[in-house]
Amino acid sequence: MRKFDKDRLILGFAGPALALVVAFALSTLVLLVSNRDPFELYRLLFEQASYSDVQVLIINQAGTYYLAALAVAVGFRMNLFNIGVDGQYRLAAMMAALVGASVDLPGPLQIALIVIVAMLVGAFWAGIAGVLKTTRGVSEVVATIMLNSIATSLIAWLILPKNFGDQAAGSNNLTTGEIPESGWFPGLSMGADAGEIYGFTFVAASCGLVYWFVLNRTRFGFDLRATGASESAAQASGVDAKKMILTSMLISGAVAGLAGMPTLLGDTHTYSLDFPVGIGFTGITIALLGRNHPVGIALSALLIAFLDKASSPLDQFGFEKEIATIMQGLIVISVVISYELVRRYGTRRQQQKVGEELAAGHSLTTEKEAAL
Amino acid sequence: MRLTIRQRYACRQPSGAITSPSPPAPPLPLLSGQGECVINASSSPPAVELHGITKRFPGVVANHDIGITVRKGTVHALVGENGAGKSTLMKILYGMQKPDEGTIAVDGEQVSFTNPGDAIARGIGMVHQHFMLADNFTVLENVVLGGEKLHGIGSAARRKIKQISDAYGLGVRPDALVEDLGVADRQRVEILKVLYRGARILILDEPTAVLVPQEVDALFANLRELKAEGLTVIFISHKLGEVLSVADEITVIRRGTTVGTADPAHTTTKQLAELMVGSELPSPETRESTVTDVPMLRVEGLSLTVTDPDGVVRDVLTDVDLTIHKGEVLGIAGVEGNGQTELIDALIGMKSADSGVIILGDEDISRVPTRKRREDGIGYIPEDRHRHGVLLDAPLWENRILGHVTEKPNSKGFLLDPKAARHDTERIVREYDVRTPGIEVTAGSLSGGNQQKLIVGREMSHNPKLLIAAHPTRGVDVGAQAQIWDQIRAARREGLAVLLISADLDELIGLSDTLRVMYRGQLVADADPATITPEELGSAMTGAAAGHLEAAPEDEAR
Amino acid sequence: MRRITRIATVGVMSAALALSVTACGESSSSSSSSSDSKDNKAAIAYDIGGRGDQSFNDAAFAGLDRAEKDLGVKGTEAEPSEGESDADKVQRLTSLARAGNNPVIGVGFAYAPAIKKVAPKFPKITFGIIDDASVTGDNIANIVFNEEQGSYLAGVAAAKVTKTKTVGFIGGVETPLIKKFEAGYAQGVKDTDPSVKVVPQYLTQPPNFDGFSKPDLGKAAAQGQLDKGADVVYSAAGLAGSGAIEAVSKAGKWNIGVDSDQYSQEGLAAYKESILTSVTKDVEDSVFNLIKSVQDGKPETGEVRYGLDKDGVGLAMSNPAFTKMTEVIAAVDEAKKAIIDGKITVKTAP
Repeated sequence: MRKFDKDRLILGFAGPALALVVAFALSTLVLLVSNRDPFELYRLLFEQASYSDVQVLIINQAGTYYLAALAVAVGFRMNLFNIGVDGQYRLAAMMAALVGASVDLPGPLQIALIVIVAMLVGAFWAGIAGVLKTTRGVSEVVATIMLNSIATSLIAWLILPKNFGDQAAGSNNLTTGEIPESGWFPGLSMGADAGEIYGFTFVAASCGLVYWFVLNRTRFGFDLRATGASESAAQASGVDAKKMILTSMLISGAVAGLAGMPTLLGDTHTYSLDFPVGIGFTGITIALLGRNHPVGIALSALLIAFLDKASSPLDQFGFEKEIATIMQGLIVISVVISYELVRRYGTRRQQQKVGEELAAGHSLTTEKEAAL
Repeated sequence: MRLTIRQRYACRQPSGAITSPSPPAPPLPLLSGQGECVINASSSPPAVELHGITKRFPGVVANHDIGITVRKGTVHALVGENGAGKSTLMKILYGMQKPDEGTIAVDGEQVSFTNPGDAIARGIGMVHQHFMLADNFTVLENVVLGGEKLHGIGSAARRKIKQISDAYGLGVRPDALVEDLGVADRQRVEILKVLYRGARILILDEPTAVLVPQEVDALFANLRELKAEGLTVIFISHKLGEVLSVADEITVIRRGTTVGTADPAHTTTKQLAELMVGSELPSPETRESTVTDVPMLRVEGLSLTVTDPDGVVRDVLTDVDLTIHKGEVLGIAGVEGNGQTELIDALIGMKSADSGVIILGDEDISRVPTRKRREDGIGYIPEDRHRHGVLLDAPLWENRILGHVTEKPNSKGFLLDPKAARHDTERIVREYDVRTPGIEVTAGSLSGGNQQKLIVGREMSHNPKLLIAAHPTRGVDVGAQAQIWDQIRAARREGLAVLLISADLDELIGLSDTLRVMYRGQLVADADPATITPEELGSAMTGAAAGHLEAAPEDEAR
Repeated sequence: MRRITRIATVGVMSAALALSVTACGESSSSSSSSSDSKDNKAAIAYDIGGRGDQSFNDAAFAGLDRAEKDLGVKGTEAEPSEGESDADKVQRLTSLARAGNNPVIGVGFAYAPAIKKVAPKFPKITFGIIDDASVTGDNIANIVFNEEQGSYLAGVAAAKVTKTKTVGFIGGVETPLIKKFEAGYAQGVKDTDPSVKVVPQYLTQPPNFDGFSKPDLGKAAAQGQLDKGADVVYSAAGLAGSGAIEAVSKAGKWNIGVDSDQYSQEGLAAYKESILTSVTKDVEDSVFNLIKSVQDGKPETGEVRYGLDKDGVGLAMSNPAFTKMTEVIAAVDEAKKAIIDGKITVKTAP
């Protein structure tokens, strides 16, 4: 037993380490080939990341990414590919902002209301794909992609001034109106220069904890993982696959609904035309990198947020900021490859061990049988 | 080039290594055991000679010091129980796996294969148990696929196919679509495919498993044709009756090693079976009945239809009635695909029946979901353990939870109890002799037999009222087999009702208190396991008999 | 497997956290480089699309470029990253302001919330914002354009030129800003010839800004408008408009361009003959003017409106085929005068 654990510890480190080394080497190569000084770039990135205001940006962004990635990961654990996180969080943020702007309850209640509306809307939007899959067999991939487009159009329509939107005098932007101050989630100030960490970032972190607990410590989580590992085996074990698909889609959507909350509650306090987009898609990358593991996802979210934010001023130093996108791509590739390599190596090793045990055990029983 | 014939080719060398549980059964004059010499009159080198083949790897029973000599122009049967190592051996001969030790000689020449291509080049062809044909291609296209260089893909290929088909009486039509062909025809296409590639030595892996008796006869006629043309056939099977009728020579494999050869002309199935399983026949002679008159499971009028992808509605279960009492093992015999799988699915709740009632104890569970049925005391040893029994990538202790997540010790309320589950897994590993270095390894890294032991241990740990056991010892080594039977028998004494489905007729007859025969979704006949023979049962499985099998054969509907 | 990976990752996590905490002690990204020289510096921060969009952002850059040449100002540009939030814009503007840039110009209404937060912290620096008048302050210059006025003139010209009595309008992204173009155009058409039908179409809905950047979308939309019988198509769609221009030109119909004089744009030289005119929006001048005003010590503040009167918007007169249509030109001139004189008020929403 001990021996195994040590092996696994080493293997656990080997995956990420190998990935980072490979990604670093590839990035350096790409930069050298394109005639740019890689080390100057790395220096710039880390210099950026050493500034406290950039750090705050990274952490806030990572919190948002984390929620989106958790939403994707819930689906992944079930073998469901929820590409629709993007549409779900945008629609959820928009509806939550609308509700938040139209009522004025005392502090915590107001926030709770907004968050609950966001989760319900996200769950509802993902649930459509879930219902389509369970009743009509429509692939959730197709359905959620379509629902993304529909969400975009729906938001664009709802936010028109003639419907629920609000256009401030002199502004070319459309908003949902401002949420009263009782609905602002207090942040953690890191000083005047650095800005504040959204309070919701901590909620995001605790969501990771809940995610881990539900998956690994509850009956429901076991059923979910079993279904993801083998739908047929889970069905034989008594899991109602259809119900499971629908439930996990609803949960995935509800978590996706939270992804817009750090920004909405901590910063903009309204949903406008320039509300951040594309977080759902980044979430897919992050969930993949983090292998659906809450800590892995957290680290990947930080990594991607770091590349995003630290690369933002690169163009002021003569580098194209697209370099960061290339690096993200390279990291994804190296992580996928190195994890697979390490996994195969681990499986082989384990089989070998079992084989040894079997061989040893075999002669033993043969003697026993012979004695019979 | 030809090698000189050496005497030892035809002579089995005494091997000191294979002295393990040598059968204490009285030496049969007809059987040549180890160390005996069978001298053949044949003057050419043997088609295949395997010597000292040893293969160790996890997941499958290892081959250990195997020696086989296959003469040219014969049908050589390789018999042994499921999991005895036959398939592994053939994979080695076909180049799919490399032996750790030992030599292979083809036509007297020592060879070493690294892939099936090498084996094909040497004239060895293999017909797999599961056909490898593209349904939407014609026979011609399937045959030339991957062998385009041999005779092209046009008229030359067609001529060649025609020629082979006529030469061996295969009766293959080159332009028929494979999807329109029956199983037997597909098998002939597979054989033709192998011959087309120039094979002189054919390996057939369990070719009769999918065939009905008439088709089996036709296949054997084909094999005799091949033999007459000087080809060599290696025939893998565990159906002893068939083996005796077609083989010229038989090699028996047990627990990964050759235990003897037999001459079919002078051997009975019983003798062969004894050689196959060792000292004791599996037939459990514990005939004290534990059957009570308390019904545990009653099924009445169960019917199920399925709709094909083409929209055709088929009856897979028609009006099935059965009752299993406490302490009773009800065995269901039948050729695979006659509704057994669907019956299990309906009982466990994975398919909901169109009509009929299922009563467990005195509770109607016809509309109850699977989980509730399992909580209510249905244990389930699935037919396909990889699909339904285990999570291959999950550790053993999680597999111990599978199917019983709502029950103690796996959970408390809505929360899992990993500590208790781990602890109990260790107990199962101990008590059921699951060979594993620990409970954190994945189920997938265990051998099939050990996975099965874990499943049996898991299901038995929840004191089921009814155990649905589908092929409980399939692919399990002999030691584990006996152990699993013992577990079932012990639980039966405690009042467990068992529904047993098995392709192994000896197991079925040996373990059951009552026998029913299933044919095309109906229970067509019943039999008393104390008096019936596997042959009688086997013929009933083909739909040739109905009613109570001891009674005089009644009029047949079909 | 899973369990140990977890432990491993926790280790890495805590290491990472420790690193970040120690780093937290350092200063913010811009304080180190603040006011290190007395150089005259100006900065613009782009909107989505950034430089190279052949439209709005490029026009702003042209203004900065001219200021660099004519005024000796050192210019800095900053681009947004995709999917960023207001916080990123705040950080960008702050760092530009700290670096001593004056003015700092946000190109596009999306910068409004950020400027609202940043401007009060730097009272001595002028912040410019283009296309927004909702955030105000002593040191904020709101540069706005009467796009609807220029579009009205385009509508007059289109109504005069059309033979099929059907004219098209292609908007890039359905935002209030682009709706102003549509509103002015439609009003101009109706006022000139009520029997002419306007077919409006938008390429995408926000937040999908593909409608400003993907020529294939413009091309498909133009095709649709031609099929509906339009023989003059006005595309207010940034780079996507070039696809529309291509399709319309190939069909032998008239185009009306947008933002800059697209008749003389190099990338569209092949289709120039079909570009009747363009509704110009002088972002370049507005940026240059703002920088110049700061240099002169009299920084612009409050709303700086560019309308027909100051030639901030207008109709390009570079295509000889257009200027030869004397009757059309007369009608356009008349309408222009009426707007400047206040006799016609152009609506800003359709």
